[in-house]
Amino acid sequence: MTTTQQPGAPEDPVYKNGLKDARFGMIFWAIATFFVCGCAYFLGYQRPGQKLTSADIQPIFGIPKWFFISVVVPWVVCSVVCVVYAGFIMTDDDLGRDHTDELEQEIREGADIHELS
Amino acid sequence: MNSPEPVQAELATFLALVLFMVISLGLGVVANMVGRVKTGFLKSYFLGNRSLGAFAVALTAAVMSGGTFMGFPSLVYKFGWVVGLWICSYMVIPVTVLGVLGKRIGQLARRTGAITLPDFFRERFESPLLGLITSLLVLFFLTSNLIAQFKAGGLILKLVLPQSVHQVIGTNEPPKSADEKIGAMAAASSDEPVAKPVETKKSTANTFRDRAYVLGLVIFSVTVIFYTAYGGFLAAIWTDVFQSLVMAVGVMILFPLAMNAAGGINAGTLAGIAQTGDDSFAFGPGASRNFHPISLALSFFVMWAISAMGQPSTIVRLMAFRDTKTLRWSIIYLTLYNLVIYVPLIFIFICARQILPNLTRTDEVMPRLVITLANPYVAGLILAAPFGAVMSTVSGWLLIISSGLVRDLYQRFVNPHASEKQIERASYMGTVFVGVLVCILALNPPEYLQLIVVFSSSGMAASFLAPAAYGAFWRRANGLGMIASMVTGAGVTLALYAVGMVWASDGYDSGIGAGGLFAPYYLLGYDPCVWGISLSFLAGAVVTLLTPAPREEHVERMFGLDTPLPGLAKA
Repeated sequence: MTTTQQPGAPEDPVYKNGLKDARFGMIFWAIATFFVCGCAYFLGYQRPGQKLTSADIQPIFGIPKWFFISVVVPWVVCSVVCVVYAGFIMTDDDLGRDHTDELEQEIREGADIHELS
Repeated sequence: MNSPEPVQAELATFLALVLFMVISLGLGVVANMVGRVKTGFLKSYFLGNRSLGAFAVALTAAVMSGGTFMGFPSLVYKFGWVVGLWICSYMVIPVTVLGVLGKRIGQLARRTGAITLPDFFRERFESPLLGLITSLLVLFFLTSNLIAQFKAGGLILKLVLPQSVHQVIGTNEPPKSADEKIGAMAAASSDEPVAKPVETKKSTANTFRDRAYVLGLVIFSVTVIFYTAYGGFLAAIWTDVFQSLVMAVGVMILFPLAMNAAGGINAGTLAGIAQTGDDSFAFGPGASRNFHPISLALSFFVMWAISAMGQPSTIVRLMAFRDTKTLRWSIIYLTLYNLVIYVPLIFIFICARQILPNLTRTDEVMPRLVITLANPYVAGLILAAPFGAVMSTVSGWLLIISSGLVRDLYQRFVNPHASEKQIERASYMGTVFVGVLVCILALNPPEYLQLIVVFSSSGMAASFLAPAAYGAFWRRANGLGMIASMVTGAGVTLALYAVGMVWASDGYDSGIGAGGLFAPYYLLGYDPCVWGISLSFLAGAVVTLLTPAPREEHVERMFGLDTPLPGLAKA
């Protein structure tokens, strides 16, 4: 076994799939953040040009309408997406061999080759 | 409010606390036995042999702390529906906290052989200096937090000690009524900024001269130190799972009771509007105060869903889960947990406006509601859950610190040739040493501690998130860049909190957020975590690009297909 991989060698699947999960997670977070905050601001915030009173509560199952649309519905949708992503889309990968013993050996042998950077 | 219920609930709470301690001790002993079966002491003691199951990862990685469990209801009661928006980024937390970095951190931890957080950064970036800075930051943030948590644990125990014990040890305090005790207990276990000033006032009275507090602190410390030192990481994880489940059961019991007692959620909303005299109880930005302007709503999506990714306790769990199947299931469990716990919590405490109108000390709303609605023994168990959360938080942090001492100080510098037996002894002793030291410091905690405590979760995220993310996905990232990233993140967050607190002490109030003595400076209306994390990422990228690239061979070892360490191919 060699100690280095040549450039252009096959890409590590864990890295590739990990990056896919990270992209998904951050985009998902961004969509949720802007949808929820945007909806809440336009439907449920007191702001110039929008004075809300108790007549605007318009409860759905007792929950103010703006809150139901901006928080409860997205929460349920996000939960479904999380479960579907983790359950069916996210891949299973082999995380590889655990090098704990090798690091221990390295420390034990005082073979720490790293210099203070 | 001196109804008979508080008296019964007081006894039940005391029994529940004792039950929590006994169960934790038992879990410590079992964890020790399980840990002994495995080989490799450090990995087993500090990382549960990298074999955490899905349930353990889900229920310990990103679940509300005991303090939040006490503080959040108070905010809902006080400011109304907008607090639902404050917490609602929990809807995406499973995917951000576990999904974004999970696989790669799990892989890199195995590939580098890292056991501790400093180990992880040091080996990933080949930079002992980065490892050292990580150790110092972890020590700085977590020790102060530990002192505060020990204090909370000691205070809660002091409050529930039976009167006969107070007589035996000769405390000169007049006995508190059950009702007063409940209020004080709420304040002691809440870690929300709004509740802090109350706690601070109290803290001046609770020094080492207060015998009941000392006794409470000693009982708390002995219990926690024993089960943590003896059982290691698994004991910390299992106690955490246990208290999370108790909280969940509590919420599920309370939800129908609260709905029934209030006569529906809308009754609570209307009661809230009537009592606060402000229609904004039903809308943003919150009743009576510009509590949650939209800039803070955006900030809190960063605060919960992104900051949690950078907490040392999260990263350590990502180094410890068994395999990717575990990771996927833990995302599913955490999603369901959040949905059935946090959404009902919002509704319950809106209903509380109808059930318990016009409470002046809103941080007592949670214990009072529990006592009003539930059977005293159920109430006792629910009230004990935050105490359980304090215990499990403490044990997790104790281990992060002691693992640093054993691995990064003892093994690397003091005795690199230490045998397995010596390391084992050092680990037990290290954990006990840190625990005892924190206990001594908690006898009379310095006032400035509060500053570190309130900014620490933002500070830790701003320090560790960018290096973890760059480490996982950026081949070009180097040690110097990550040092810049950590120092900038911690520095910016600290500066914004320090400025806010200095101004607050002069009577300045920005008008947004919950206010109080520990409010940070909200630059352009955004929470410091937004600035700390962004600038930490920026500094990391800029300094990395200005300094030499890391060794290609090392980068390949981190990003290419798995290969053994150089020179150790035969091992």
